[in-house]
Amino acid sequence: MLIESFIFYVFAAGLILSATGVIFLKNPVHGALSLVLAFVASSCLWLMLEAEFLALILILVYVGAVMTLFLFVVMTIDLDRDAHQPTFVRYFPFAVILMAVFAGILIFIFSSHLFENHFVKHPEDFSNIQSLGEILYTQYAYPFELAAVLLLIAIVAAISLNPRTLKSKAHKTQIIENQIDIHRKDRIRLVKMSSEKKP
Amino acid sequence: MMNELITLIIILLKIVLIAIPLILFIAYLTYFERKIIGYMQSRIGPNRVGIYGLAQPFADILKLISKEIIIPSTSNRYLFIIAPLLALAPSLVAWSVIPFSQGKVLANINAGLLFIFAISSLSVYGILIAGWASNSKYALLGAMRSAAQTISYEIAMGFAFVGVLMASGSMNLQDIVLKQQGGVFHWFFLPLFPLFFVYWICAVAETNRAPFDVAEGESEIVAGFHVEYSGMGFALFFLAEYANMILVSTIIALFFLGGWLSPFENIPYIGVLFSWVPGFFWLFAKTSIFLFLLIWMRATFPRYRYDQIMRLGWKILIPITIVWIIVLGLAVQLKLPPWFS
Amino acid sequence: MLSKLKFLFKTILLTELFQGLRLTGKYFFSAKTTLQFPEETTPTSPRFRGLLALRRYPNGEERCIACKLCEAVCPALAITIEAKPRESDGARRTTLYEIDLFKCIYCGFCEESCPVDSIVLTREKHYHFTERGQQIMTKEKLLAIGDKYESEIAADKTEDAPYR
Repeated sequence: MLIESFIFYVFAAGLILSATGVIFLKNPVHGALSLVLAFVASSCLWLMLEAEFLALILILVYVGAVMTLFLFVVMTIDLDRDAHQPTFVRYFPFAVILMAVFAGILIFIFSSHLFENHFVKHPEDFSNIQSLGEILYTQYAYPFELAAVLLLIAIVAAISLNPRTLKSKAHKTQIIENQIDIHRKDRIRLVKMSSEKKP
Repeated sequence: MMNELITLIIILLKIVLIAIPLILFIAYLTYFERKIIGYMQSRIGPNRVGIYGLAQPFADILKLISKEIIIPSTSNRYLFIIAPLLALAPSLVAWSVIPFSQGKVLANINAGLLFIFAISSLSVYGILIAGWASNSKYALLGAMRSAAQTISYEIAMGFAFVGVLMASGSMNLQDIVLKQQGGVFHWFFLPLFPLFFVYWICAVAETNRAPFDVAEGESEIVAGFHVEYSGMGFALFFLAEYANMILVSTIIALFFLGGWLSPFENIPYIGVLFSWVPGFFWLFAKTSIFLFLLIWMRATFPRYRYDQIMRLGWKILIPITIVWIIVLGLAVQLKLPPWFS
Repeated sequence: MLSKLKFLFKTILLTELFQGLRLTGKYFFSAKTTLQFPEETTPTSPRFRGLLALRRYPNGEERCIACKLCEAVCPALAITIEAKPRESDGARRTTLYEIDLFKCIYCGFCEESCPVDSIVLTREKHYHFTERGQQIMTKEKLLAIGDKYESEIAADKTEDAPYR
């Protein structure tokens, strides 16, 4: 139990620290990286709850894919760091109010068992993935499919907004299909010549 | 308390037992790569240090350790130092769930497949951070290419994993291997052949090896993300690349080629003849085949153009995997013998 | 249409990739051409143009008669010659014969022009300079090189003689 609480507090502290880092670090890349750290820490907390599916999916989807793209964007654009300071101060009161509301809700919900360590203990053959899958494909099958369709619509919309698919004359692109569809015999003619004879 | 401490020490010992031979194997993989590519180019490769050049890896390590570590003055110091560690760590962590033989695994977790997939998706961070922290245009370009490539190929790779998951009905790596029991024709590479192929291509792309090594692309962007690294920093990136190579080769052996199972299983006489061979040997042999193939491919194929890599990932590999998953779903539903009965 | 189908088939089966793999696989087992350098060296032609040398007659008399043909023909102006009658017998001999190896392009014109086969290019190609000034080959140095490789030079000359 002692080791488990120790691990819990280490990751919880890491989560809070990195979450504050997201807000307060001035360099946007550092901010994005501390968000990654926050994801990893919260995934470890989920692992301690024996919710391994959610934990690993969090790492896979958010850390592995979403945050990589985030970093991708943040690294390539040149953010003027100082320009953002005044707006931060201007919205500060609203942020405080919102934070107070959120904190109030959380305290209200969890006040009954605040700072009380009890770790979930499932039987040995319990599989979080299996139970999740069973619920997802029986009880919540329709919402699940709907969410999938929504995502598909989003993908289609994103692709149709791409200037390459708009086929404007001004936008020049290479058409890889045409490039691949080239045969050697269209381009090269090998000529066999007899070598020159010495006079 | 005492018991917990002892378990902790045992776990640590197990980790050392896995990590040390692994790092040795990585060191010798570099040697074998140089030898094999040399042989394919009518050369003989390193042969000066030790007999047949067998001490070459140690000479290289000594050289790299004794070299000066240069940190560019305009770089982001801490991230620059952390990046090689971040690149190496995931490829070593993933070994914790790899079963070497029946029951011989550090952590026999339920979601082993998902764990490997999640951890291998982290390895891009080392490259990305290295590229950005170096404050060099070549490094940044290499990192960007690598990130985009890894994300694209992760999708097809994930679908290939889904196929394995459907065929085995489990995410536990041991169960996946045990489902393939019963000789060569029961291994998953036959019913999942397109996925096997797609996974192999994705694995090559994920490890940034030729012909998908645009992240390094030494003829275009010098050395890509690790231009600014010298000495041990460079060595760690090198180690990470080779550790990843071994990892993907082991994974493909586990998922598609029956892992530690003997290929002569259930064959009269020969099966009995080889029954004394430990399972670890078969896994090692299968992994070695794929490692050889990786090196062979590097010696043969020219580098892919970047936009063609993207096209291959998104427009060819992903549709193939989706189609085959549907076919597989039907096969599993109809209990197609001999694999799914 | 049929060729298109054939092309499609080739693309799907990745035949060209496998052809490439087969080629490298074949070379994997083929004989290796590497020479173990310090132990083995590549064979050189008797006409190889390496380090320069001045030769002597078998009786020890130096061949060079200071005709300055080599100096005149040298396209890189690497050769400097000064001549004076020798004090003992009044024979025309060089007092200064220097070749700047940084200027020398190893064209072999000096060897061609020499009427007494004095200046020659040896087969020696492994030499180096550690300090500035060492690249100037003085007469003594050149003669010493000639003495060292005399048997080899003589053998090469006789081998090449029918073609001259």
